[in-house]
Amino acid sequence: MRKTAGEYAVLWVSIALVIAWTFIPILALVWASLMPFNALVNGGLLQWPSGMGFANYEAIMGIATINDVFGGQPEAVASGFLNSAIVAIPVAVIGTAMAIIGGYGFGRYRFPFKNTLLFALLSVRLLPPIAVLIPYFVILSALHLVGTYLGLIVTYLTAVVPLLTWVLMGYFASLPIEIERAARIDGCGRLRALWHITIPMALPGIAAAFVIAFLTAWNELLFAVVLTGGTAKQTLSPALLAFSPTMPSGGANFGMTLFAAGSVLSTIPPLILALLVQRYITRLNVADPMTLEGN
Amino acid sequence: MVSRSLKSLAQSDSRFALRIVASLVLFNAVIFILPLIYAAWISFHDRDVILRTQEFIGFNHYRQILTSSEAIAAMLLSLKFTAVVACASLPLGLGIALVLNEDFPGRRFLRAAILLPWAISEVVTATAWIFINNPTFGALTGVMHSLGLVKANHAWVNETTALYWVAIAFVWHITPLGAFFFLAALQTVPDSLYQAARIDRASAFKRFIHVTLPHLRPTVTVVLVAVTVEAFRSFDLLFAMTRGGPGTASQTFPMLIFRYTFEFSRYGLAAAASYILVAVGMIITTLYFFALMRRQRLARIADAAAGEEARSRMPTPGEAMLS
Repeated sequence: MRKTAGEYAVLWVSIALVIAWTFIPILALVWASLMPFNALVNGGLLQWPSGMGFANYEAIMGIATINDVFGGQPEAVASGFLNSAIVAIPVAVIGTAMAIIGGYGFGRYRFPFKNTLLFALLSVRLLPPIAVLIPYFVILSALHLVGTYLGLIVTYLTAVVPLLTWVLMGYFASLPIEIERAARIDGCGRLRALWHITIPMALPGIAAAFVIAFLTAWNELLFAVVLTGGTAKQTLSPALLAFSPTMPSGGANFGMTLFAAGSVLSTIPPLILALLVQRYITRLNVADPMTLEGN
Repeated sequence: MVSRSLKSLAQSDSRFALRIVASLVLFNAVIFILPLIYAAWISFHDRDVILRTQEFIGFNHYRQILTSSEAIAAMLLSLKFTAVVACASLPLGLGIALVLNEDFPGRRFLRAAILLPWAISEVVTATAWIFINNPTFGALTGVMHSLGLVKANHAWVNETTALYWVAIAFVWHITPLGAFFFLAALQTVPDSLYQAARIDRASAFKRFIHVTLPHLRPTVTVVLVAVTVEAFRSFDLLFAMTRGGPGTASQTFPMLIFRYTFEFSRYGLAAAASYILVAVGMIITTLYFFALMRRQRLARIADAAAGEEARSRMPTPGEAMLS
């Protein structure tokens, strides 16, 4: 199919618009992170001042100090990276493992009460997280789990398992069942068939689920603020937010360049993961809620 | 073809699946539904932090919220935010998917790159947009001021615009998800349909309306529900960007619950407000499902009347399942 000149023009203008919409905010952020603070405040973002460089990055990671105003906050960002990794990796591993079991059960088999159980699981996802904020906070306080990794990990697991189960259910359902069936008839046990045959076939979907779980735990703010904010176990999102101009502690616009540098750094781990699995995400066969009734 | 051993396998498999799935749901119920029940108990009691007393007060907290102008304003803001995000994100996601579905050099790279805003956290999304709309050093002030359109330090985020700025940033963050669903669906449109439309000399616009759009209808439902749910329950971006301000100009209902909890320590009131949020959210989703299901049924009847084949749709889990 050949395109006319007019169609080409429309196409390239559209591509330019998509690129501008996607990248302008990111470019603004990266540009600000390379700027000296005084230059940003005095001359704004749209300039190329002298002294552009990685000073903000060195300061935020605690390699160099450029401003005493911030006290311990840059250190909080550096340890926030560690804390976020300690929380996000178990959430991704355990959450994916649980979702494999649930997705396999829902996606591969018919059984009584299937729709009821599926709805029970999904309704957890539909509820606003803030709805359980108070009971979680009170219960975790009573168990002395506020300000611990464990409290945050359990909280995030409840958020990711229903979503990942849904995603993997669609993926397992889309895989051909013949090989697994043949293995079963040859006397292979259920769990062995799942481990040696079905899971290897589903690896792209499982990889995508892992990344979604990691991103959720790495990026989350509300429960991170409530359960770890201001403590030694504080994750990255609340640590960064301390620099925000909208926070009472953030002051006017002090630290905006540090805020930018920390934000850019915080994006790198999820970014690498997302790029690694992006071609699998397109292939995820997310079930159509309209057709779930039919099963 | 189905042998007897296969049948008995399927039966015991069904029991096995029920067991593993039920245990998963049970685990989730324990760590999610029990706290919800506890929240209900909290919402029916008045807790005195200083005297450490609890008093049963029935539905008083609910009545207090439903008659509070602040809470009603917050709920209306939440609904407005959700509507703005859904209305903007759906066509934008579809537009991006249509562009990425075309054939052009660099397409593979761009398909990966538009995922960026989705992979970025809401805190960082807020930071990025602050560098656009900050009155002092923001890029927008820079451009508009050098064009002589605004004075320096123009307050882009003010009482009227604050909610829309948060909505724009949220749309930026959430749209790649919808775009990816649409792109996946677009790739399943049979090429022969487009060729037939070309032979009939249908314009690009007509091809879109009569070939592409009907094919995408189930995906529109999925994306609309997903975006609505995400927008209605969103908190992080708002908290990082405006904290509900200036004043209460962007104080949505989740933000109000947060303030009840941590600024005023009114746990009972906050728990009651949470239940009201859940109820309204469920009403919205239910309305959606009814409206969309009715439309689908009407479309199916229309198709049948026209003697057409059933519209093709995304493969369902049921189609691939053990039968």
